[in-house]
Amino acid sequence: MTTDASAAIARPRRFPQPDRIKEISLLGMIAFSMIVFSFFIDEYPGARFFDRLTTSVVIVAILAVGQSIVIITRNVDLSVGSIVGFTAYLTGDFLATFGSAGPIAAIGIAIVAGAVLGSINGALVAFGGVPAIIATLGTLAVFRTAMGLYAGGIDITVDRLPDWVLEFNQRSVLTIGGFDLTLIFVITIAVVAFFQWFLARVRGGRRLYAIGSNPDAASQAGLPAARLIFLAFLTSGALAGLAGFMYLTRVGTISAAAGAGLELRSVAAAVVGGVSILGGSGTVLGAFLGALLLDELRLSLIRLPAISEFWIEAALGALILVAVVLDATLRKRLNSRWAAEVRRSIGEPAPVTQGIPEGGSADA
Amino acid sequence: MREWARNHRWEVLLVGLLIATTAINIAITPVYLGVGNFINLFGLSVEKIIVAVVMAFVIINGEIDLSVASVMGFSAAVMAALYVGGDVPFVVCVAIAIAAGATAGLLQGLVVIRFGLPSLVVTLAGLIGFRGAARVLLEDTAVGDFPEWFDRLGQQPLLGPLPLAMVIFIVELTIAWIILERGSFGRKVYAIGNSAEVARFAGIGVTGVKLKIFVTSGLVAGLAGVLFAARVGSVRGDLAQFFELDIITIVLLGGVSIFGGSGSMLGVALAIFTVLNIRNGMGLTNVDGLIQTGVIGLLLIGSVLIPNLVQKARQRRSTPAIAHAPP
Amino acid sequence: MDRVTDEAPLLVIEGVSKRFGATQALSDVDLTLRSGEIHALVGENGAGKSTLIKMMTGIYAADEGEMTLDGQPFAPRNAAEAQQLGVAAIYQEPSIFPDLSVAENIFIGHQDRGLLVNQQAMARDASQILATLDVHIDPRLPAAGLTVAGQQAVEIAKAISLDTRVLIMDEPTAALSAHEVDRLFRQVRQLKASGAAILFITHRLEEIFAISDRISVFRDGRHISTRVAADVTEDSLVREMVGRDPADFFARTEHHEGDPVLRVSGLGRTGVFADISFELRRGEVLGFAGLVGAGRTDVGLALFGVAPADTGSIELDGKELTISSPGDALRHGIAYLSEDRRRSGLSLPQSVTANITLATLKRYTARFGLLDAARERSDAETFRQRLGIKTPSLRTPVGQLSGGNQQKTMLAKWLNAEPRILVLDEPTRGIDVGAKADVHRFIDELARSGMGIILISSDLPEVLAMSDRVAVMREGVLRAIFRGARATQEEVMALAVGAE
Repeated sequence: MTTDASAAIARPRRFPQPDRIKEISLLGMIAFSMIVFSFFIDEYPGARFFDRLTTSVVIVAILAVGQSIVIITRNVDLSVGSIVGFTAYLTGDFLATFGSAGPIAAIGIAIVAGAVLGSINGALVAFGGVPAIIATLGTLAVFRTAMGLYAGGIDITVDRLPDWVLEFNQRSVLTIGGFDLTLIFVITIAVVAFFQWFLARVRGGRRLYAIGSNPDAASQAGLPAARLIFLAFLTSGALAGLAGFMYLTRVGTISAAAGAGLELRSVAAAVVGGVSILGGSGTVLGAFLGALLLDELRLSLIRLPAISEFWIEAALGALILVAVVLDATLRKRLNSRWAAEVRRSIGEPAPVTQGIPEGGSADA
Repeated sequence: MREWARNHRWEVLLVGLLIATTAINIAITPVYLGVGNFINLFGLSVEKIIVAVVMAFVIINGEIDLSVASVMGFSAAVMAALYVGGDVPFVVCVAIAIAAGATAGLLQGLVVIRFGLPSLVVTLAGLIGFRGAARVLLEDTAVGDFPEWFDRLGQQPLLGPLPLAMVIFIVELTIAWIILERGSFGRKVYAIGNSAEVARFAGIGVTGVKLKIFVTSGLVAGLAGVLFAARVGSVRGDLAQFFELDIITIVLLGGVSIFGGSGSMLGVALAIFTVLNIRNGMGLTNVDGLIQTGVIGLLLIGSVLIPNLVQKARQRRSTPAIAHAPP
Repeated sequence: MDRVTDEAPLLVIEGVSKRFGATQALSDVDLTLRSGEIHALVGENGAGKSTLIKMMTGIYAADEGEMTLDGQPFAPRNAAEAQQLGVAAIYQEPSIFPDLSVAENIFIGHQDRGLLVNQQAMARDASQILATLDVHIDPRLPAAGLTVAGQQAVEIAKAISLDTRVLIMDEPTAALSAHEVDRLFRQVRQLKASGAAILFITHRLEEIFAISDRISVFRDGRHISTRVAADVTEDSLVREMVGRDPADFFARTEHHEGDPVLRVSGLGRTGVFADISFELRRGEVLGFAGLVGAGRTDVGLALFGVAPADTGSIELDGKELTISSPGDALRHGIAYLSEDRRRSGLSLPQSVTANITLATLKRYTARFGLLDAARERSDAETFRQRLGIKTPSLRTPVGQLSGGNQQKTMLAKWLNAEPRILVLDEPTRGIDVGAKADVHRFIDELARSGMGIILISSDLPEVLAMSDRVAVMREGVLRAIFRGARATQEEVMALAVGAE
């Protein structure tokens, strides 16, 4: 109890932040798996693999960022696949009609359209009191239908689009010895970096964590929970719009089913990336790395001659399970370590535990 | 009766909706009332509604199972792969396939219980993993040419005009209804969904009940996968893909609370009929399937949103009284 | 006049009343808090303390009366608004954000350095505030690892950072060790020195005298007295707290105690209670008195297998039992009526009948796992008449009934299990006078029919009036067992609060 206060401030012991541990272990897993694969696959991991990975990961990565923001507030957005399809179609139609429009206008339209759809989700959840899973399950269908009505059975095809659209997907910013750094990947990195910064450093970002961590305490502290949840869904929609634009440049042909299934892939990336489905913890950087890991494994397994490419999904399912189990175990460990450290630092004996143990094995 | 109606507002609303859609359907097309159409009404979605009945148990119990459609695909793939292998009598293939579904449910249930993880995440992993397993088994082939009796069971009437799957659905719905409303198991399911703690204090084996439900969910999904294969006559790795969302939508539309503890088989049955009615009516008048999906999505949102808004408006009108009892 | 009373009044409560249904929680209450004072508020459970706090923090609105803060009318609409005006509360279980850092927990509601959050500066400021409280933890650590004491320190730091002028502390010491209480007191005095008024609620007498400048006593929703601490003696305080006359209570009949049915020896659970030994006879009501957190409920939960004991033995009819789940306990004929109806007592959306039969479903299960609805109904009907449960119908969700009728339904559930031993934990908390009398009549009837009853109650007159013998617990230890008729409220209270 006689510890000098200034000393405690000057030299605090560094503790592993759970988010940093997750991010580092994801990087480790990516590196490790690539090393392992490199023994079995020729010319791996070369420039071609890098190129493939960086262009294929962008859609799910961007969706995972938006999904994470929503999950951190203890909600979920199941409508992003439909928003991708809708905005991809809208943007494609726009470009087919106004052939002279450039990428900036196209991206702008895609993001605004996505934001509008996202704000519908946000309004339903934040102001309408509809549980997120119901609201976005509903809009998943409704947005898909809206797109179908709008499309009227006519697909967007490559030949109707300006030439730059498909080239955009391959446009490179920087080439170092065969490694192309594509523009879309740079945009993705920028999105991840911005939201990583926002969630870590900006007041509104921190409050998103607070809401997801303990909603009751958040309302007691007077945080504007409804407004922030609304904005989280709006952001998720806007990012899905951006992903929709990228989907268009990648695929070129947009049918009524475009983007279906992406909602669950984005949730999977976020969860593998250490974003807790119960809200309040995780980072968008982790979600990005989660998306990267899933895609890296997929692309590597495809090239692995010994194993059928059909193993990919089965492996991914197992991976998600392992990731969440490890996450839960890690959290428990760290918590008890902090507790021990806190007791040590304030000179406490072990605490008296009162009440009923949670869970327990008391079932007959 | 009036008290029943007050406690079952949602079911009353669904009955209204059902009558309205039926009336509209009759007005629009004379075909609607034919027996053939009636069979058609169910036939195209019969596997989904078979799974939906069990999903109601899962959600009332306070959990969710996103993996059902993948388990359907997985079971069908197990059956097809064994059949292609050729060494096993086909009846055994079918039995193993259904058992595989039950095993899938058991595995997920064990993970949920053992690690205390949210079932949303565990079954999301299952959704991806079991779909993957189906792909592993079949790669990108389609397996067909099943024994004739199997195809016949899937496609021909068995009992009067009803094919096997519909007989199964009717029997299943009846049993599920009885278990949930009249059985001691159903009583426990509600109690656990309301509060696992209250159930535990009443000496109910909470984990046992949860596990039984997960196993049943897998088992019935497996059965539905096999039935689907019989109706369509072939199996591919993507059999029943994305069905989970339709199935969950039906259950929630039936008034089952996503937070567990409330909902009724009557509501689920009415939601099944309503959804099929809407799809059928729109189908008969050549409304696109896509629009049908959208209408059902709107219904799902409206079913929660409208009561919420009504309640909000009411609260605004009355003085802000605080309903809490003193501690 | 004392120095404290010379200070200008900071928060003034005048003529405040609040009613919940049939219960008058507060009637015409006055209270004045001054700058730089620690004001203890004492009273039994149900005296109206919690209601008053909820009014001061904007959770309830008063039916009558008014509050002023610094001479301005004070009527916050929610906790956040009360906080902005300088009135904050810390509860037994503080509400923290486990995923955020300690520093963020302190500053989350009011980071007023613009939009950007400077984690470093925040951590530095947090360290400084915590250091004044003699707490040296790295503020960048997630709050998830904090003990209750640590969480309270964070809440106090938050109050300091908010320039809180009135801090309400609702039984903050209930879950703390003696060591932690010492530090908490230093922190509170620190806060007092900065000019804040602290309303300190506790049941422990030694704490009241150790920390407070003035003491106010509440009883049955009324303000009884406010005096300078130095003028108050333990005796007078205990007398004012209990005050009621046991003669108002149901006059229980003479019980014919039979043979011992339950023998508990050396029962203990690490860190919760230790070395509990007693005997319960057939037809006997054994009361358990003591303060909230004294370990009475934990003994009940151990007997019922919810949180099994780790030392000692439980013997039923001379045979030693292992009880590791409520299922075990029920099979042996031990039932436990929970103090928390919502959390562990009743399945509120289910019907009255379903609740009454929930613990005994096996009995109603006929062929194919089907329930015998007719038998359920007739049994439920029997209990409705026997206990006088007022409900529109047996199919009504039990959540729609009044508190008293919910309590009777819960009692019916356990009676339906036909237990030989019934543990009643706060069976009359929060229910109206009529229902209370009914419950008392049943306890008496049940004992006469030969059931062994353990009655845990914080309502002293109740426990004394109803019990054949009264066990008193304090801090996890059984201090004494009185013959009911011989104990006085003062004696029991003195033992429970640890007065010499």
